[in-house]
Amino acid sequence: MVKCSFCEREAVYINRVNGKAYCRKHFLEYFDRKVRRTIRKYKMFGRKEHIIVAVSGGKDSLSLLHYLVKLSKRVPGWKITALLIDEGIRGYRDITIKDFLRVAEELGVDYKIAGFKEYIGYSLDEIVLMGKKRGLPYLPCSYCGVFRRYLLNKVARELGGTVLATAHNLDDVIQTYVMNIINNSWDKIIRLAPVSGPIDHPKFVKRVKPFYEILEKETTLYSIINGLYPKFVECPYAPFNIRWSIRRMINELEEKYPGTKYSLLRSLLSIIDLLKNNPKLNIGEIKTCRICGEPSAHEICRACIYRIELGIIELPDELREIAEKLRIRIPEKP
Amino acid sequence: MITIRLVDGSKKWSIPRDRGRIRELLNNIGLLSEEYIIIRNSKVVTPEDEAVDGDEIILYPVVSGG
Repeated sequence: MVKCSFCEREAVYINRVNGKAYCRKHFLEYFDRKVRRTIRKYKMFGRKEHIIVAVSGGKDSLSLLHYLVKLSKRVPGWKITALLIDEGIRGYRDITIKDFLRVAEELGVDYKIAGFKEYIGYSLDEIVLMGKKRGLPYLPCSYCGVFRRYLLNKVARELGGTVLATAHNLDDVIQTYVMNIINNSWDKIIRLAPVSGPIDHPKFVKRVKPFYEILEKETTLYSIINGLYPKFVECPYAPFNIRWSIRRMINELEEKYPGTKYSLLRSLLSIIDLLKNNPKLNIGEIKTCRICGEPSAHEICRACIYRIELGIIELPDELREIAEKLRIRIPEKP
Repeated sequence: MITIRLVDGSKKWSIPRDRGRIRELLNNIGLLSEEYIIIRNSKVVTPEDEAVDGDEIILYPVVSGG
């Protein structure tokens, strides 16, 4: 039996970098210290905040919601609202919503479920079929990612949120880092910072990642100890893409050389620091979408580009020139 | 015999051993302890703990499902 390094109880976790073992009680203290240190270090929250927690119903986001609701009891100026985006994926999201509602009710936290159907007009399942019919080259995850990010920002702002917290953990961040190195996407690497922005746009809600320095193994253990681990369901659109191979490769390295993941995170923070003021990297200013008015990298945002290409909205005639420059596939008028 | 299974019941292994360190038992069936939280006889344990004849090990995947 492995014993806790701080008491006589049985260990539930070993930190292979510092060599310490933790029982359930000391693990929860270690977890709390680590998250609070991350929040402080990157100045994620002020004393008065309306924190919108982006929740999917998975173990990481349920753990983040659980943790921040508990922490908010010690900070009188904080209000927490959970926000779940319901893409409308049959056999997946309907199941994870049940896990989310159970936890939200137990915690007594305010929440909002924002559906693709309600805001975009169609569920993801319908959008994927429409895209196929029109011969569009996008994968389901492309539509999903764009519309989810669009709605998270828009609905967080409509709810009066001052900051949007997402449950990205250390493993998620370093996997994306390695993927972006392979793709030579240095502009995307800058966006992997623990706090996005502050981007100078009145409609942009600041985003933070309180689990930035927390291993996925630690968030999983936190979810099991607190009865949050959901029934394992896999998104039917989840592709076995390069991320799966990178995850396995990093986990193999971590198993052989403990500390590899923290080293990769330090490497990412150094490169963000080197890149952020580099004039060669054209990050561009944030614009306002001429159609929906949301923050956008171009004059028409990606969500509106998809909506035009899918035939959900019509392209205003005065934007035809811009649309052609952006190479939008403009549907023929019937 | 030591039995190991994934929490959703999708995979199960029966290992004809009297005892062994859990990290090594997992490695022998091609799994990384880095990717699972380990429950032995209904209690969370570490990969450095041992399993003995008759133990049931349940693995909770750390990796999210999409």
